[in-house]
Amino acid sequence: MEKWNGFCEAAKNSSWKVKLSAVVMGGGQLLYGCWQKGLVYLLVELSVLYYFITRGISDLVGFFTLGTQKADPWTGTAGDNSVVMLLMGIFAWIVIAVFLCIYVSNLKDAYAIERRVKAGEQPISFKAELAQLLDRKFYITALALPVLGVCVFHILPIVFMILIAFTNYGGSIVPPELVDWVGFQNFAQLTTLSRFAPTFFRILGWNVVWAVLSTGLNYFAGLGLALLLNKDCVRGKAFWRLFPILAYAIPGFITLLGFKFMFSYGGPINQIIRDLGGTAIGFLDLDAKWSARLIGLFVNCWISVPSIMLLATGHLSNRDMTIYESARIDGANRWHQFKSLTLPYMIFTTTPVILSQFVGNFNNFGIFYFLRGGLYMDNYFLASDTDLLINWLYNLSIDNNYYSIGAAISLVIFLITSTISLAVYVRSAAFREEDTFQ
Amino acid sequence: MKQNRKAGRVVDSVITHIVLIVVCFIFFFPCLWLILASFSKSGSIYSFRGFFPTEFSLDTFKKLFTDTTMYNYPKWFLNTLVIALGSCVLGSFLTVLTAYTMSRFDFKSRKTMMKTTMILGMFPSFMGMTAVYLLMTQFGLINRLWGLILIYSAGAPMGYLTQKGYFDTIPKAIDEAAKVDGATNFQIFRKINLPLSKPMLVYTALTSFAWPWSDFILPKLLLKEKDLYTVAVGLMSLDETEFARFAAGSVFIAVPIVVLYFSLVKNMISGMSVGAVKG
Amino acid sequence: MKRKWLSLMLALAMVTSLLSGCGGGNSESGGTGEQSPDAAPSSTVQNTIFNGELEQNITIRVLENDTVIAKGYFAELIDAFNEAYADYGIVAVDANMDQYLDLANDGPYGYGPDVLYQANDIIMQYAEGKHVYPLPIEQLECYDQIPQSAWDAYAATIEGTEYYCGVPVNIQAPMLYYRKDLLPENWESEWDQDGDGVPDMTQRWSDLLAFSQARHEGDKNLYGYMKSLDDVYFSSGFLFSYGAYIFGNNNRDTEDIGFAAGEAEKGAWVLSQLASAMNEDCIDSTITTNAYSRMADGTYFATITTPDVYSTFIDELTKTYMGEGLDQAAAEEKAVENLVMTGLPKLPESGDLSDESAGLIDSKAMGGINGYAISAYTQYPNACLAFVEFATGYDMIMKRSEMLGIAPARADAAQAAGETSQQLFDRLEQGNIIIMPSVKAVGQIWTPGQTFFIDLAKDVFRPESEKKYTDLSAMKQGLEEMSQQIYDAIHTLN
Repeated sequence: MEKWNGFCEAAKNSSWKVKLSAVVMGGGQLLYGCWQKGLVYLLVELSVLYYFITRGISDLVGFFTLGTQKADPWTGTAGDNSVVMLLMGIFAWIVIAVFLCIYVSNLKDAYAIERRVKAGEQPISFKAELAQLLDRKFYITALALPVLGVCVFHILPIVFMILIAFTNYGGSIVPPELVDWVGFQNFAQLTTLSRFAPTFFRILGWNVVWAVLSTGLNYFAGLGLALLLNKDCVRGKAFWRLFPILAYAIPGFITLLGFKFMFSYGGPINQIIRDLGGTAIGFLDLDAKWSARLIGLFVNCWISVPSIMLLATGHLSNRDMTIYESARIDGANRWHQFKSLTLPYMIFTTTPVILSQFVGNFNNFGIFYFLRGGLYMDNYFLASDTDLLINWLYNLSIDNNYYSIGAAISLVIFLITSTISLAVYVRSAAFREEDTFQ
Repeated sequence: MKQNRKAGRVVDSVITHIVLIVVCFIFFFPCLWLILASFSKSGSIYSFRGFFPTEFSLDTFKKLFTDTTMYNYPKWFLNTLVIALGSCVLGSFLTVLTAYTMSRFDFKSRKTMMKTTMILGMFPSFMGMTAVYLLMTQFGLINRLWGLILIYSAGAPMGYLTQKGYFDTIPKAIDEAAKVDGATNFQIFRKINLPLSKPMLVYTALTSFAWPWSDFILPKLLLKEKDLYTVAVGLMSLDETEFARFAAGSVFIAVPIVVLYFSLVKNMISGMSVGAVKG
Repeated sequence: MKRKWLSLMLALAMVTSLLSGCGGGNSESGGTGEQSPDAAPSSTVQNTIFNGELEQNITIRVLENDTVIAKGYFAELIDAFNEAYADYGIVAVDANMDQYLDLANDGPYGYGPDVLYQANDIIMQYAEGKHVYPLPIEQLECYDQIPQSAWDAYAATIEGTEYYCGVPVNIQAPMLYYRKDLLPENWESEWDQDGDGVPDMTQRWSDLLAFSQARHEGDKNLYGYMKSLDDVYFSSGFLFSYGAYIFGNNNRDTEDIGFAAGEAEKGAWVLSQLASAMNEDCIDSTITTNAYSRMADGTYFATITTPDVYSTFIDELTKTYMGEGLDQAAAEEKAVENLVMTGLPKLPESGDLSDESAGLIDSKAMGGINGYAISAYTQYPNACLAFVEFATGYDMIMKRSEMLGIAPARADAAQAAGETSQQLFDRLEQGNIIIMPSVKAVGQIWTPGQTFFIDLAKDVFRPESEKKYTDLSAMKQGLEEMSQQIYDAIHTLN
């Protein structure tokens, strides 16, 4: 509300020079003598216009229609590729958004210059502006590139995926067939299929348990290892740290395959068991629900602990050791020191990491896909008892190429995980009181 | 009294070392197994007795590097090295910049951005892959190593929260002192915060360097020609009967990462407590 | 059959589960000429595309599978073709891509090959999406030599007209591999009841089971016939032999899943009996991977797999013989002599492998026909057609058969290539090879099938009190549940 009032005031009080900027970006600046800035804004406007004339308009139209002409490779007729149109349409929207930001800043800037001139001062020189960008406004310089990168390579695909959930892309409707918007049809389908519900809740339950257990286990194991290696009595720390690093350096999927082989019927563990006279145990078997889950936990821990250990070591070395001194003088033993000093400190600094680990484990596709993929159990609809939601999603949609349903399910999973995480994060100390740990 | 304390310390040290040995063994064992498998004479994984191969030879390693008709491992290795170095440098740079900015500056959209980036990271990324692929076809970046470097670096800042947490623990008092002395924000960043955050820089550099070596989804999508493969994709394309080669290839992936680790390990421990904020 | 067991890619997911060899079909070789297929009045589309004017001074990219490249045949093919077409300046090169590349995803953007060699089901799925060209097959030199049943594997009805979108090269179907030198000394008297000079255990499953049990009893570390049950491609053959099928109406009606049809439960019972002579390795994919080395070192006597891995078996066996002191050439010769690849044994009508007197029926198996197709995104269709014609010519096919041991789809080559190829032809003719369906839905049969077979295998090793499949009706029920799962997987989200 305030902003709108401010805007109206500005509109009223500004001269025609500023209003010129609304049409020709940089016009106001040019007229006031800040020709470098003016030129920059003008260039921006021209390049965006060029983009729209050559590509943008057709992309935007395509965004809404998703193609009207079906291509036929056999007769060589070119046609519309619906998915590409959707994608580039989103891209065009992003360009519009970015352009609007620059446009608004252009107007504000022109108005600010005018106000300065009216107040009798010289407009800020270009050099001074640049210096400001490195100082007070450093955050703009620093963030411009990352934000752009994230927009194009992360936001774009995510928006794309969300929008796919509202189309009928998938199955036999893939390019060169034309895809259409179908609104909420996919979601309706999901809710009406009675077979989904029991499987969904069962998998959800296991998924949450898994995420909590594995995150907790990994975190404390990693922290414990870091603390252990941090002790004074351990010499040659770099040497000891080498082993977890080695485990970390070997790519995850390779070690997963290795573990799968290790626990298979013909693998080393069973070979040893057989040599000792016993019968082979099916660790990752059809019947082996709990042993498979435990093995999954253990393997996941093995894979994740090294990086957490690294992180923890870094943070631990940043502690102010004087408080530990004073604690010892006060008579606190090591366990107390850990509980009241180290632990809160670590949790504070690594809350975001814990959260991202939680989400990562929640969506950990690889672990059960490689260890135990390819089983459909009886009381599950196209899933096994160790599958996570994301594995189920894969079975349902990617295996069949049902992209739109897959996107819809992803959306649902996402809504669940994000609400939980956001709630925790916003309440966490790390978010609220960022400065107060000192 | 002193005797007891000393004995206690010795016992403590012994227990610590035992635990360490066990833990390190657990971590080392599968790696050892892989390393030994790569020295195995027979290609097949099942010709081992128990955990270890029956016969050893250096043939596999030799073949790995010389037999490039089907599996051009040296070329894959180089490709991955280029991508890893590129994304390490570019990605770390962007991440550190972002983290520092988010930690030190307070601007209007800050909290929103933090929440947004957090949420964005949670999307299960299946469909995203299609989008990335289509995007790259439109930009003409398929079959180019630069495309991968671009995507990895662009995605790296999403992980800024870790680095930011570290920056948060560096007291603002130092910054303020410097400002009183007349330094610009950029100078503060370069001369004070950066050196103090070496452990986190090491962590960021290591993780962004290591990631391209193990990622095979994205390169599989964007690199269509066998000569352009990264090591991860290339190893996945190996036949099942070539397990020794697979193991040898994977073991070799570990080499650059371990090398990087050793060169950076000194920086892991930097003391904040070196008296920067005494009193 | 080589199966990729790891793929996260959207596109790859479809391809991996589908890959199986598909061999060329074959009918009678020589003799009665076969009728030309119902030449659809569709030649206009093909003729528009393939107008006979060879593009000049261009390069075409050919995608073959890895074994072909590894064994050196591909290099020879390319060299021969380039020499023959040097005047036109047409050069064929290795596409240098993943052999499982998804043409539907990559072709439209220009990143696919121009000519590809693949299994029939994959090529025909591309045909559904018009990613491969319809071919003017009557113009090809091999047209008369390849029987109708093989061409049918590449027939598709698109927009009302019938097109043929690929050229068959070889037939892929399971074969029995066994070690001749591991036969018992006295086999001619003990194991050849009908006195035809062929060991019984390679002619009847019941004898093979008996031999396996005897071998294992003699030495606990040795086994007879070994094969992973979780491999749907091979295990389903036993179901087919007793009346099961994949999809109804000649593999076009995906509403009718036929895995439990007829007396399929007898096939499941046969599998269960065979598994009882194996160890737990048959439950997961252990045996699939270690068969090569175990056959070589004598632990296993026999297994079944596709002909395209024949050379791998030979390589491993050669290594064993070399380890015994022979030199390379002698070892290889001995390996070729002792590793026999032959047709599948016969099954008892009743499904009871211990019943010696039962009448015999033929074993059916899942199979396919591999062939060449031309990408619809190529810019040089005529040059590609010339390449395909060259590669399916008699000389190149014979060479392919020599170097790789494949069973050609051309009648003349099959006859010349030897007895095994002839056998495969006959099997196709007799309807004993069930060709993989070309519909997308076939990708859904693998996981439910695999789950059932794993369960079946596991059941053999469960303690008595926990056994699920104690009689035929239990197996039938298991099969029906599996069919239901397949149906669900295909139709729920449609």
